[in-house]
Amino acid sequence: MDSHLVLLPIIIPLTGAAAGLLLWRRLRVQRAWSAGALGASFIASIALLGIVWQRGPVVFQLGGWPPPFGITLVGDLLAATMVVMAQGILVTGLIYALGCRDKCATYPAFFPLFLTLTAGLTGAFLTGDIFNLFVFAELLVLSGAVLTAISDDRHGPEAAYKYFFISLFAAIFLLSAIGSLYVSYGTLNMADLAERILRGSQDAAPAPPLLGMAMVLMFVFFMVKSAVVPFHFWQPDFHTASPTPVSAMLSSVVVKLGVYGFLRMTTLLFVPYAATLRGLLIVLGIVGVVFGGLAALGTHNAKRMLAYSTLAQIGFILVGIGWGTPLALAAAIVLAVNHSLIKAAMLMLAGAVASRAQVKSAAFANITGLGKSLPFMGALFLLGAMALAGIPPTNGFIGKLALFQSGVVGREYPSLAAIGVASIITVVYIVPAFRTIWWVSPAEGVKAKPGGDRILAPALLIGLCLLLGVWAEPLLRLANHVSVWLGDPSAYIAAVLGK
Amino acid sequence: MDILKAFAIGTMFGIGVFQILRRSVIRSAIGLLIISNAVNLFLLSTGAYQGAVAAYAQAAGQRSDALPQALVLTAIVISMAGFSLVLALVYVLSTRYSTADSDEIAELKH
Repeated sequence: MDSHLVLLPIIIPLTGAAAGLLLWRRLRVQRAWSAGALGASFIASIALLGIVWQRGPVVFQLGGWPPPFGITLVGDLLAATMVVMAQGILVTGLIYALGCRDKCATYPAFFPLFLTLTAGLTGAFLTGDIFNLFVFAELLVLSGAVLTAISDDRHGPEAAYKYFFISLFAAIFLLSAIGSLYVSYGTLNMADLAERILRGSQDAAPAPPLLGMAMVLMFVFFMVKSAVVPFHFWQPDFHTASPTPVSAMLSSVVVKLGVYGFLRMTTLLFVPYAATLRGLLIVLGIVGVVFGGLAALGTHNAKRMLAYSTLAQIGFILVGIGWGTPLALAAAIVLAVNHSLIKAAMLMLAGAVASRAQVKSAAFANITGLGKSLPFMGALFLLGAMALAGIPPTNGFIGKLALFQSGVVGREYPSLAAIGVASIITVVYIVPAFRTIWWVSPAEGVKAKPGGDRILAPALLIGLCLLLGVWAEPLLRLANHVSVWLGDPSAYIAAVLGK
Repeated sequence: MDILKAFAIGTMFGIGVFQILRRSVIRSAIGLLIISNAVNLFLLSTGAYQGAVAAYAQAAGQRSDALPQALVLTAIVISMAGFSLVLALVYVLSTRYSTADSDEIAELKH
């Protein structure tokens, strides 16, 4: 019975979306239904994490086919942690969407699409089959692109086109990688594949010629998913133009799919070649931290600045994965969870301020001084900014501390120095943003409109940031357990293949 | 026969890449479709080399594999959904900006 639990976080949003579409004439019922479905799915994912924490990985074979022939769903500690993080943030996104004034949130397709986005992301985390990963990633991309295309911002379709085109291209890359791996090993099951690659690397025979190709193609796919630097160009446009509740999700949890992919690639699929991948990740991470920070400095729009800041924060996570020691992996997971909380809250706050401006836009010129009459949101934004820059007592500080500590322990001084210096850039762009919105006097006659998006969701998230900053112990313990689990790929293989 | 198939896939991929690099969004959308079909063909070809043996077979006498056909079917359905969304977006863009030139559909600079 327990093994069915891994199905629920995928099935509930998926059926919830289908049933929600049938309710398209009754918007209020549809909203309540969607909120209920996502809430139930979040509870199921927490239960999944609880069971995984107590009894080890939960594996479910779809249709009862034995592995490696059928599709396997694997709820291991990493996947369950990512699912709880993603669905927790998505619940706050839904709360924001319920209280926001965007016209697109009143379209009958909005909430069903939000649920398919959830199902796609959750499925991609939980699947143990690379072709299934492709299917769920496509579901995620389709719903994300449509949600952006229907945005109130008139640039929505342009941004959605860019994103969708690049993502389809990345999906083709993943499909080629799947083909290459299938040619070489004749299996699609991740555990089986990992075992065969490991065994193949110990043989005297040379590795299959398409293995390197598959590694590069899959790496590129996850780079596009996480918007890592050479493939980042769609991300700031996309996250600026999409409606606030959606952009807060895209910039926080959806980019974590790539992080998850890199973790799986270096600790499970390509363990014998992990050193090469890790070296690449460190370089990409440092470039991302520097480039993202500098690009965020030069923006004229609050949402766009936060989108660029995501590039930098993903860079920190990649450096953590690149160092690859248990401590560094734990730090990367803490950073990933923290960044999701912080970035979702910050984007919601930026969107909530923009919704109170005369023209709905987060451009700094449009919202200068608007914050004078919104002191509570200012306090929240300041706390979020502190978390983003890594200043105690927020969770951002815990994450950065863990990362730097693991760098010192691992004697990674050059890369540590690089990201240490680059992390100061965060303060340089976030403080002027706060000053522009809340400190500078507004132009003559400019006033915040009464009403606007409700700020319950960002308040919840910032509260959680503070809580995890003061009481970091549970998250740190969880991350340490995950990194211990990741350190032993044979346990994953044994759990899935039942040996 | 395998050589011919490989050349066909390679040529399709090449045409697709060339079309993707064009400035017109319509042409690049068509290029994407051609590339995705080239990859589908590649997937299909992994099931049976020389018409009989699966690509990864090591022992003699192993039979061809039907799984890639199921994969390709799924990939075709997904690419159909994706491509219809791409066409819809191209339609919206080309009417809204009254051009299909990707250099002129660039208002999201700041």
